Amino acid sequence: MARRRVAITGVGLVSPFGGDGEDFFARLLRGESCVRLYCTDDKPRPLAMPAVRCADFDAGAILGKALAGSTDRFAQLGLAAAFDAWRHAGFSCADHIDKPDYGVAWGTALGGTLAYERGYRDLWQNGRERVAPLSVVLGMNNAASAHIAIQLGLGNSCLSYTVACASAAAAIGEGYRRIRDGEATLMLTGGSDAPLCYGVVRAWEALRVLAPGDGNNAARACRPFSADRAGLVLGEGAAALVLEDWQHAVKRQAPILAELAGYGASCDHRHVVRPEASGQVRAVELALADAGLRPGQVAYVNAHGTATPEGDAIEIEALRQVFGEHAGDLPVSATKSMHGHMMGASGAIEAVITVLALQQDALPPTAHLDVIDPACAGVHHVVGAALRGTGARIALSNSFAFGGSNAVLAIRTDRNDTSA
Amino acid sequence: MNDELAIMRTFLKGRLDIEPARITPGATLAELEIDSLILLELFFEFEEQFGLNLAKDIPTPKTIGELVDIVKGLRRATAAG
Repeated sequence: MARRRVAITGVGLVSPFGGDGEDFFARLLRGESCVRLYCTDDKPRPLAMPAVRCADFDAGAILGKALAGSTDRFAQLGLAAAFDAWRHAGFSCADHIDKPDYGVAWGTALGGTLAYERGYRDLWQNGRERVAPLSVVLGMNNAASAHIAIQLGLGNSCLSYTVACASAAAAIGEGYRRIRDGEATLMLTGGSDAPLCYGVVRAWEALRVLAPGDGNNAARACRPFSADRAGLVLGEGAAALVLEDWQHAVKRQAPILAELAGYGASCDHRHVVRPEASGQVRAVELALADAGLRPGQVAYVNAHGTATPEGDAIEIEALRQVFGEHAGDLPVSATKSMHGHMMGASGAIEAVITVLALQQDALPPTAHLDVIDPACAGVHHVVGAALRGTGARIALSNSFAFGGSNAVLAIRTDRNDTSA
Repeated sequence: MNDELAIMRTFLKGRLDIEPARITPGATLAELEIDSLILLELFFEFEEQFGLNLAKDIPTPKTIGELVDIVKGLRRATAAG
């Protein structure tokens, strides 16, 4: 079967700022951070750390009481983002459309970790002998994808991808492949995670990779590529993209936002947490080859850029290797500086940002990047405010995960005509 | 009947936003959109409230009235030891 082109016809997200996707992107262009000091009354030691929360998110109001009560927070966030993208693509969330050729590909690193933690607290802290009856269906990693398919009536494959920080990028890429190869007409893709529970935060803290911060400087806690970067900022969130066979999108007169033109996946196969430039290089090159692009055509990279000392330098090294003489002119930014690290949702929210950046010809900056680490030099870091009017039409979105898994998406808007 | 109905009305208002007046003995679980998972939660609620330890093979009721009868029977059996 001939290779099919894949259109992106809808994007959606849950904004930690509280507004819609346009507002979220506009704030990123201004370099605004949604990182705040996150405090809890957990025992024995309350949490107080920079983090990103979707504090205004009201699952009951958006999903209804019945569905909200049947889902853990990561699935609630995922459903809300999926519904947002679904409407953006011109569909109605009220219709159960019963489509066997439409599917779901969803990423989550942690799944329903809040449900599990409630169960553990009941058993070991509260002295109970049993846990809530829906604990299994709340906690399972495929809860978000399953509920999205059930709510909207999507009968093709419904798969969940757990690839740590590359979960959503892998889900989007694998969903893209199903359409490209003729196995599905439309895939609702994306990712969601809600990692801000006591045990998960303490686990990340023990790994010594979390950025410190207090009430005065929490917003600036995540500083990718900066000489004084001090670690990542955990965040909860969700984002979704509707991917669609190009012909199908044209036929139903859907708004074509961009083309998902290529996907590259690789594994460093060396170390569980230490990244390798060689593995990242292969993922980027595979994405370019899949899209039929040369390095010189790429006009923006939304970097993985988590603000860990080692990871940022390795990523820039990989970009230098792939882009060679073009690297110095290649605009690169790490938007995690503003929206934190949403774990398995990161690849989706950054893919959405990349689509909007190309659409609006405005590249968001890496915030708080006052002094570039020499180890991260060699590309055109977008700093301060947005870089506007570059004419960028082709971009990459990088996602690199613990475990050595790498996923790169190639997105373009230079062929958004209605021809196939 | 009153205890069981009161528990169901409170639970279903909070869980599914069903108006308490709709929770009557003649109402069917289907019309109230009480599926097997919600029923599981309801039985869990009864266990908590009445100190029951229900068996796995509880019959599946079709109406609120049948559900009340099942729970009353289980309460009697538990009380009788």
